[in-house]
Amino acid sequence: MGHAGKNLADRRRFFMSAPAPLEVEEPNIDQNTEVSPDQPWIVLVWNDPINLMSYVSFVFQKLFGYSQEKADLLMLDVHDKGRAVVSSGTRERAELDVFRLHEHGLWATMQHEDA
Amino acid sequence: MLSQRQAFRNRPRQGLIEICLGDHDRLLIADLAGQFRSLLSEGDDAALQRLYPTAYPDHPEHNVEYGQLVHDDLLRGRLEAIEVVEATAQEPSLSLDQLNAWITVVSGLRLVVGTRLDVSEQDEFDPEAEDAPMQSLLWWLAMLLDEAVTAASHYLPDPLTP
Repeated sequence: MGHAGKNLADRRRFFMSAPAPLEVEEPNIDQNTEVSPDQPWIVLVWNDPINLMSYVSFVFQKLFGYSQEKADLLMLDVHDKGRAVVSSGTRERAELDVFRLHEHGLWATMQHEDA
Repeated sequence: MLSQRQAFRNRPRQGLIEICLGDHDRLLIADLAGQFRSLLSEGDDAALQRLYPTAYPDHPEHNVEYGQLVHDDLLRGRLEAIEVVEATAQEPSLSLDQLNAWITVVSGLRLVVGTRLDVSEQDEFDPEAEDAPMQSLLWWLAMLLDEAVTAASHYLPDPLTP
């Protein structure tokens, strides 16, 4: 993620320095594993080099009602570790959250909790 | 001269967000919104893929279903936001809903421009580069988005979780 400064002199600080994979890593999942339908799904947001850090934190607050502190921590997790779990629940709940994140242009995916 | 002053100013008592952009910035964002609509309507530009991400990286069949389910909604949401930006670009102020539409358009435009430029976080501005104008545009959009997010953050409801 990048973060915007207030003037052009901050341009060098715009994009963060940590490497950011453009491709989503393929999760290591056994496709034949049986999973029960009520097993929780988790929603992941992946790092990308375009979305602003301030914007990502804003979206987490807006969509999930998280405090700024919690949203900032999640956003930094996305940035530093490449991804973060932002919500969990039934498949329907997770799919709705993924959709709302996609509406906001964030790179979100969902998978079973133990995947 | 977006970099010299605020782009938006909150008027909380009126529940409005004043637009402090100059004429050039207003014309530019309205024009970009129109270009965004054209691009969205073409539907086959590679830069658009970033606007329709994969939901189930490990379940291709679920992902096809998901894509069919949400594609039109994602498209419609952006087209409606584009209309709001075009209709309000010359207005003195915005409602919160209208500001959120601006945020939708500006963040969407950044994804398209950034994808076109194939930006990475290590990229630094090179005024000699062939794509320097596009890089400047991405930067201008970043400042506009950052200011819009700052303005909209004042209106976030109290957090549900600490």
